[in-house]
Amino acid sequence: MLLKELTEAFGPTGFEDEVRGVARRELDAMGLSVRTDVLGNVIASTGEHHPGPRVMLDAHMDEVGLMVTHIGEGREDGGLLRFRPLGGVDPRVLVSKPVLVGERRIPGVIGAKPVHLQQPSEREKPIPMEKLYIDIGARDADDARRHVKPGDPVAFATAYDELPHRMAKAKSFDDRVGCYILLEALRRWKGALPVFGAFTVQEEIGLRGAHAAAYQIQPDIAIALEGTVAHDVVGTPAHGQSTVVGKGPAITVQDGQTVAHRRFAEFLWETAKTRNIPVQWRRVKGGTNDFGAIHRVGKGVLGGAISVPVRYIHAPTQVVSLDDVMHAIDLVVAVLDEIAKGGFRP
Amino acid sequence: MRDWVMRLMDFVAPSGSEAAVVQALLDHVRDAADETWVDALGNGMARKRGEGPHLMLAAHVDEPGVMVIDIDDRGYLRVVSVGDVHARECAGRVVRFTNGTEGLVHADPSAKGDLDFDALVVDVGARSREEAERMAPIGTAGAVHVPHVTWGDDMVMGRAIDNRLGCAVAAEVFRKLAARGLNVSVAFTAQNAVGARAAQAAAFQLEPQYALVIDGAAADDVWHDDPAISLGKGPVLKVMDRASVVPLEGKRAVEQAADGLHLLLQHEVSRDAWSDTGAIQLAKAGCMAIGLGYPVRRAGAFAATADVSDAKGLVDLAVATAETLLG
Amino acid sequence: MAKYQSVFKQLLEAHGGPGFEQDVRNLILPHLSDYAAEIWTDALGNLVGLIPGAGEGKRPRVLVSAHIDEIALVVTRIESGGFLRVAQAGGFDPRALVGQEVLVHTQSGRVWGVIGAKPPHLTPPSERSKAAKLEELYIDLALPEEDVRARVRIGDRVTLRRAPVDLLNGRIAGKSVDNRASAAVLLEALALLKSMVHSADLYAVFTVQEEVGLRGARTAGFGLAPDIAIAVDVTFGAFPGQAPDESFPLEGGVAISFGPNLHRRVFRRLVDCAERHRIPYQIELSQRPVGADANAFQIAGPGLAAALIGPPIRYMHTSVETVAYDDIWQCARLLAHYVAEVDALQVEELTCY
Repeated sequence: MLLKELTEAFGPTGFEDEVRGVARRELDAMGLSVRTDVLGNVIASTGEHHPGPRVMLDAHMDEVGLMVTHIGEGREDGGLLRFRPLGGVDPRVLVSKPVLVGERRIPGVIGAKPVHLQQPSEREKPIPMEKLYIDIGARDADDARRHVKPGDPVAFATAYDELPHRMAKAKSFDDRVGCYILLEALRRWKGALPVFGAFTVQEEIGLRGAHAAAYQIQPDIAIALEGTVAHDVVGTPAHGQSTVVGKGPAITVQDGQTVAHRRFAEFLWETAKTRNIPVQWRRVKGGTNDFGAIHRVGKGVLGGAISVPVRYIHAPTQVVSLDDVMHAIDLVVAVLDEIAKGGFRP
Repeated sequence: MRDWVMRLMDFVAPSGSEAAVVQALLDHVRDAADETWVDALGNGMARKRGEGPHLMLAAHVDEPGVMVIDIDDRGYLRVVSVGDVHARECAGRVVRFTNGTEGLVHADPSAKGDLDFDALVVDVGARSREEAERMAPIGTAGAVHVPHVTWGDDMVMGRAIDNRLGCAVAAEVFRKLAARGLNVSVAFTAQNAVGARAAQAAAFQLEPQYALVIDGAAADDVWHDDPAISLGKGPVLKVMDRASVVPLEGKRAVEQAADGLHLLLQHEVSRDAWSDTGAIQLAKAGCMAIGLGYPVRRAGAFAATADVSDAKGLVDLAVATAETLLG
Repeated sequence: MAKYQSVFKQLLEAHGGPGFEQDVRNLILPHLSDYAAEIWTDALGNLVGLIPGAGEGKRPRVLVSAHIDEIALVVTRIESGGFLRVAQAGGFDPRALVGQEVLVHTQSGRVWGVIGAKPPHLTPPSERSKAAKLEELYIDLALPEEDVRARVRIGDRVTLRRAPVDLLNGRIAGKSVDNRASAAVLLEALALLKSMVHSADLYAVFTVQEEVGLRGARTAGFGLAPDIAIAVDVTFGAFPGQAPDESFPLEGGVAISFGPNLHRRVFRRLVDCAERHRIPYQIELSQRPVGADANAFQIAGPGLAAALIGPPIRYMHTSVETVAYDDIWQCARLLAHYVAEVDALQVEELTCY
């Protein structure tokens, strides 16, 4: 199953190869024109000969992860791996999680000093990343060096699973859910419009792939497809939830790096409403997505984002509603239809 | 100039919601231009082709404000900032939205410490969620309302004088340079208050060799005995801010122009501002961009004061600088 | 053999903060002219020299850069008594500024000054445990207030005054080793390349305004649009108390950076080139976009294949930055050999993932 394959693919930021492989395989099977740029972005296109507007659909392939920075050499830490974050990782989510290290996907665990041995004052504070280690079972530094090296990327080892009531859990729904929506939308959509699907790298360290991809595509309209923060959980008032899982894809009016193009945001909303696709506003300002970079490229790009609510974004286990995912695909296809019909003029 | 600026101040135009004031400004320069247009990010542009290298004028039209991000079942609005606005500045104030709706900002009396936007709601007098959604739908932007006041002929206090005064200056300089047959354009830029997001796209389209960027300069003549920048003491050369350093050749051109006009010139070094100047100089392979300003007391705040006589001096300075640069 | 040690020391004594690099540029210009077929300065002030490659047809285009600006201060206010308040252009540790001699660059020339330090006799114990803040520091020109006001304007730039110090073993300490050391790398590499055959067109770029946000690199990267862009910039020399992955021993050779925003094939070629030519090197890991020109190069225009190498230095952003000239020399060797080996095939493989 494609969503399972995508979320389980290994792709910390800058090391997106496995995801790139899946995306390219699917795009080739659709018979689209596909190329890879110098940064590693995969750009697929269809209908380039049609008159505009040129539409760019974007999803980023990378996920937050870790990088091995040092192999312990001492009596106590011999063979344990020191690491630093690749992208925004909260050290509080790391303790007692399994990971995969490097090209050979060596399994490891992130442990911590037993609670029994901690001072009461230690227990009250999060354990900083400098005090955490990855344990791959190596006996000493030389043993560890046979399997891993500094610079190796690390991803969470979380299996995809479907849960009752059309829910699913996995790592990296941010943004494999976007990759999935983009692939499925390209598979379904048949129309007369120049459409570019950009599977981008390095979103998690500053929207970098999208910046270059947008410059190459020079779109008139761009839409980022993104897993976004949902915090519809106990103890959070309605206005702090951002989005609610199961209530449909979300549309942004303002986030950390974008003030939405008002007319386009309303166009997305109306398109969903007229086709009975559930839709909601994203109701916080924090965070951003690739559109934050894309809209400022070149002569400026109009557009926005269609986001799927994801609980526990950037943590090893994330939760989504599969209905939201399907509705997001419906909405992307509907939006392309409308643009092709002249329902939105840039 | 003063009354025209005060009309411009009447537009509520937080970053991303600048369309109406941009149209007013383009209407004002249209007869002097070969073409005018509004781009994808909301920049309003006018171009006049002429002799010599191309000089771009720029002034941002937007202002900081708030935006409706959520509406509750009782019809109260939740808002977030647009640009650098603090919740405490909004508490107890009247907000005017771009569609004319007005509301009163309430702060949660149980909120402790420094206020954040989670502790605010805006009451627009709606009796239900549906009514509120009609009056100020999610995504509507607004600004804290401050009625403007004039003192004497030239002193103006009010909302958004920074940078509607700069827009008026840029428009007038554009008209003067266009009338002289020079190769000139003007960009009324959007989205400056959220971090100079749109100016680079404007420069990307215009591809100037030179740019003069007009903006307010923070005056410190209220609380300092030895102020660096004072109202009424003339236009300001912006030497450095967080996004730009004036090139030496540009600095010399401005100082030479000021000397030629026997005009007092003040100098600004800003630790805080992210100017359009920095964004414009880095478009494509770069251009020579120079920031010029007029002094503003409480620059960036909802209520600020400027002296229009400084802006008149700035028009002369900008025209003379352009003539020096374009030789 | 290395031939630019004395030029390097001249570069350390030149003054040029972000936006006023002309003195440094003028010092480099005659040396660059020895190698470049064409030389120009772009709108921001980047100095570019083109050294054409050999051969017919489409040649690979390689950009190598060293930023030539140094961190500086800018006058924000003239206080009564003629004391100057300053802001920074680039990241100083204000604690390292106390008691430092400086030069104020005014319209009528340079003026000597010192950053005031309160004598311990007058400092209460409560204040001694506190670090100085930049806003609290002032520059004393030891001139009457009228003279100060007549000469100094708000916006005048200030740089550190420090003659280079020769330490043991060819190690050199001074101000602006960051990044004039890399300017020396470029010159040494050009000298080495003169006796090699290279098919690539080489753009040697001395960039400006790096310390305030990699600005020169942005316009140079966009304007020149090379196939490969290699930034040369200094990194952290080993020193007690630093993390092992942020400490590179002096005389340990070239630091070659590896990380998400650097092109992995260029990285591998650099490592391979160092191995084959027995050039000592160390690998520097980054998890974020690097804090050097290579960051801007990667996303210039349609995106460039970016790389970062450099010599380690101790005490970065002080007036006693310390480098081993041997590391400069090894960097130059690597750069020259790499450029000499770049061919069309290597450019083609940049998009192969």
